[in-house]
Amino acid sequence: MSPFILSVVESKEEARRGSIFWWRLAMLLALVALFSGVLLTGVSVWFLGAVALAGAGGAAYTFNFHIPAALIRLFAMARTAAKYGERLVGHKAALLDQVSRRSMLFSAMAAAPKVRGASWQLGDQDRLADFVDDVENLDFAKLRVGIPLLATAGGLAFVTAATLFVAPMALAVILPLLFGTATCARWLLPRLARGWQHVRLGKRAAGRRLGAGLGAVVPLQAERTWQKTLAASFTALSGADAQFLQLRCKMAAADTLVGLLGPIAGLVTLGCAWLMGQRGEALLPAAFVAFAWLALGEATQGASRILLARVKEDAASKALKAWTTGTPPEIATIHGLSSCVSSLEIVAMPRRAPDGRSLGGTVDLILEAGRPTVLSGPSGCGKTSLLKQVAGWLEADGDGKLTGDGIELANASRRQLVFLGLHDAAVLSDTVRENLFAPDATDAECRAALDIVELGERVRLAGGLEGWITQDTLSLGEAHRLNLARALLSPLPIILLDEPGEHLDTEQARRIVERLIAQLRDRILLISSHKASGAWKGAREFKLDGTPSEIRNRID
Amino acid sequence: MLARAQSLAAGGLRGTLLLQIVRMALRLVFAGALAMFAGVMIEAGTISIQALVIGLAALFLAALIGLLAERQQAEAEFFVAQGLREGARETLAAMPARAVQALPAGALIAGLQRYPEALAALVVGHRTAALMLGIVPALVVCAIVAVSWQAALALLFATPIMIAFFILLGGTIHARAENQERAFGQLATQFDDRIRTLPTILSAHGVDHERRKLEARMAAYADSTMNMLKVAFLNAGVIDFFSSLSIAILAVFLGLGHLKLVDVPGFSGMQLWQSLFILMLAPEFFAPFRRYAELYHTKAEGNAAALAMDGFLAGPTTLEQVMPLAFDRFEGDLRLPPKGMVAIVGESGSGKSTLLRRLASVEVPAGVEFAQLVPVFAKGVDWISTDIPVPAGTLADALSLNQAERNPTKLLSAAQRVGLLHDTLLPGGLDARIKAGGENLSGGQRLRIGVARALISDRPIFADEPTAKLDLANAARVRAVLADCACERLVIVATHDPKLKVLATLVVDLDQREADQRDVAE
Repeated sequence: MSPFILSVVESKEEARRGSIFWWRLAMLLALVALFSGVLLTGVSVWFLGAVALAGAGGAAYTFNFHIPAALIRLFAMARTAAKYGERLVGHKAALLDQVSRRSMLFSAMAAAPKVRGASWQLGDQDRLADFVDDVENLDFAKLRVGIPLLATAGGLAFVTAATLFVAPMALAVILPLLFGTATCARWLLPRLARGWQHVRLGKRAAGRRLGAGLGAVVPLQAERTWQKTLAASFTALSGADAQFLQLRCKMAAADTLVGLLGPIAGLVTLGCAWLMGQRGEALLPAAFVAFAWLALGEATQGASRILLARVKEDAASKALKAWTTGTPPEIATIHGLSSCVSSLEIVAMPRRAPDGRSLGGTVDLILEAGRPTVLSGPSGCGKTSLLKQVAGWLEADGDGKLTGDGIELANASRRQLVFLGLHDAAVLSDTVRENLFAPDATDAECRAALDIVELGERVRLAGGLEGWITQDTLSLGEAHRLNLARALLSPLPIILLDEPGEHLDTEQARRIVERLIAQLRDRILLISSHKASGAWKGAREFKLDGTPSEIRNRID
Repeated sequence: MLARAQSLAAGGLRGTLLLQIVRMALRLVFAGALAMFAGVMIEAGTISIQALVIGLAALFLAALIGLLAERQQAEAEFFVAQGLREGARETLAAMPARAVQALPAGALIAGLQRYPEALAALVVGHRTAALMLGIVPALVVCAIVAVSWQAALALLFATPIMIAFFILLGGTIHARAENQERAFGQLATQFDDRIRTLPTILSAHGVDHERRKLEARMAAYADSTMNMLKVAFLNAGVIDFFSSLSIAILAVFLGLGHLKLVDVPGFSGMQLWQSLFILMLAPEFFAPFRRYAELYHTKAEGNAAALAMDGFLAGPTTLEQVMPLAFDRFEGDLRLPPKGMVAIVGESGSGKSTLLRRLASVEVPAGVEFAQLVPVFAKGVDWISTDIPVPAGTLADALSLNQAERNPTKLLSAAQRVGLLHDTLLPGGLDARIKAGGENLSGGQRLRIGVARALISDRPIFADEPTAKLDLANAARVRAVLADCACERLVIVATHDPKLKVLATLVVDLDQREADQRDVAE
């Protein structure tokens, strides 16, 4: 195991240990809060009953009311403080977990093959929002489900035990009631889960549908079907919402049942004590328990929210499992491989479409440092896929072989050696400097690289290297050039650039690409371009034509 | 948007509020009956059947009304969300294509999935809680007055103190939230952002560095969040404090009164059931405050949703289109023939597509009402471009989208003519699977689906670069199909393709700025 993996495991363990303490404290405080609340009501009632009887019986002067009064004040304070503490500590623990869980998720997703596939689905705002919702539901599940459930169970156990003590007969009614409620919850849970799944998927499907409509607005308006298409996707959205309404009605019914539990249990306890012949002073313990039931009932109001949170947690964790299972963090496996490769020989690399299907035919190509190569061909002949194959991003080598300086390079090793300049590279919400992915470069080097791609002035105006930029602050062309600056600053021996002239006008593209070619003389440089590249000085051209006529139709 | 939501909510809100008030009143009755039942039982040693029956009846009725109130609130919120979505749909439906294209689609969809509900919760749920704030304490005080007006007064006195605390805390919370936004606002969505840009991070070998940075930033943000929560939770804490304290103080005072050790007016000489009643109602006095404080989040989310929706659907006011000069010339004197092929040609950026859209009434010049369509095309045209909508399903489904009838022979021959039946990259003929959004289709395949659809229908054809992205054989097929169609109906193409241009009976050259009328066909 590399030191990198070790450090991940260590920090994970550390974080977990850190949060476990806070979770335990939060549980403890939740129990304290609940017990104090239940005891506050119970003791108050017992106290009132006792003093009323004492007052009436003339024992007023011998009644020691200091202890119960102090207890009542204590419970009142403890309830307030513990509730506040529980919320604070619980959030602290959840946030601690959130940091470690999200960091782990990030690593796991970075290692997932899907990221290297044809198009990154979480690049869309709406899909990203769905994903983040899932992560959030998981982040706060313990806080919304675990703690309230545990506290309620503790309170329930205590009050039930107390009932057994003062009016065991009442349990004959209360226990079946509790059992019935539990059965009800068990019955409801899978239904809620199914309903929630419908709502979730329905909303998402409606969103995709709306997205497809928004993307095709011109044809739809021209064909006069825009209204119809919009109506269909909005109906789908409302349908999902209507299903959620049904869920809410089910939840409200469940809450009503749970809400009846406390008062009924209280009344039954009192009644049973009476029937058992307890009168006067002897009734006080029963009154204590009865009002404790009442207070417990108040504390468990809105119990269905716990169920829904549980259902959401389940759905989210299932959805996120797709990212985290089967993808152990990538382990660097460059053994005896120098990080400086000066030639790359591609033999019989099968040509693929972005989704991995064979396009027929193979590619043979020798790339050498100092001999920049432009891969040209019509739009859709598989240039991007070929670049990704060379970069080791697609598991589609087939019988093809790639050797660097005579050593065969597997996918994973190539990934370590290649900088892949994607044509749709994104801008991180971060400083310009961090966006360059060159932690070791000096400021002067960064500025020089930005000048080469004609972004120097733009960056100076936006606050220099430490200025904060986002996807929206840069135009497509600027974002594209920023990515070319990343390539310039990359220390890797193999640089692949996908359509470096995209989003730039012809003249600017020529200027910048020629400078790139000159700057990256010492690397293996492979550039793809759908335009004829005769204009680019200093590069040789490798034409990738669509052998079967259909190939030209493929999008990259 | 907020105003619209409020007007939509008006009816449902009234119903919800009314039910909630009835439920509250019934709860008070239950509390009274229970206090009476328990008090009499302990003190007098008798069972008050009357109190028991009234209590049970009130309990069940309150539960029933509570259920109705919850359902009513859920339905009212659904109704509001529905209305808001309907409004959004109408706005979108009336928007010119260019304005729709300028919308941030992903954010809009994510918003439409969430914002209407958030806003509905604000104008119904949160508003009900806010109104109950004024009603419930009054009800409780009225009920307690029936037993002891002094105790009711004591509760009333606690209220201004609590409100003062609220205002004090509110200010601090606001200040802290603003502080956090200023200092850490950029870090709030770092995780989302890094997931969005994951392929880029991977391609630039930044995973390890970004993970460490992300961890540090998330931790920093979590710390600042904790700092804010410390104050924000005080809000509910203050209410808990008052509610707990009121029980404690009342219990002690009432106890002293029972013992007749001190003579506090309003607290002495009472029966047990009366003091139990006061004790049970005191927390109810504070309950609505607590509920309101808990809905703090709903308020923030609802307001943000209203703002965001206003932003999305403000309408196309700012989208003044800049069009090439050539346009105004053609607008007047371009007379389209009922059939034949019209080619719009010109350099990239000369406005071919825009003119094509304008002719199809998709794009409207500034100042012209959208409804003012060219009457010939009012029934719609067949549009061919790479961004045509393609539903998930089979190729046959894609070809018969929005067609009145589905004629298998026609489908087959249309697919055959554009070379889709034996496409090696879309195997399966008419049953070829098409993924959602046409993900697995190339631009060329989409174009040919558009051409095949046009073949099946009989409307005028508008084609935006129909032969671009096609290989030679397919381009020839498409040209032949369009030329055939032009014998019977109008075919307008915006094109770069010289071979397509020569087929046209009328060429609109946007570079020469005049129509070149060549009546070859007629």
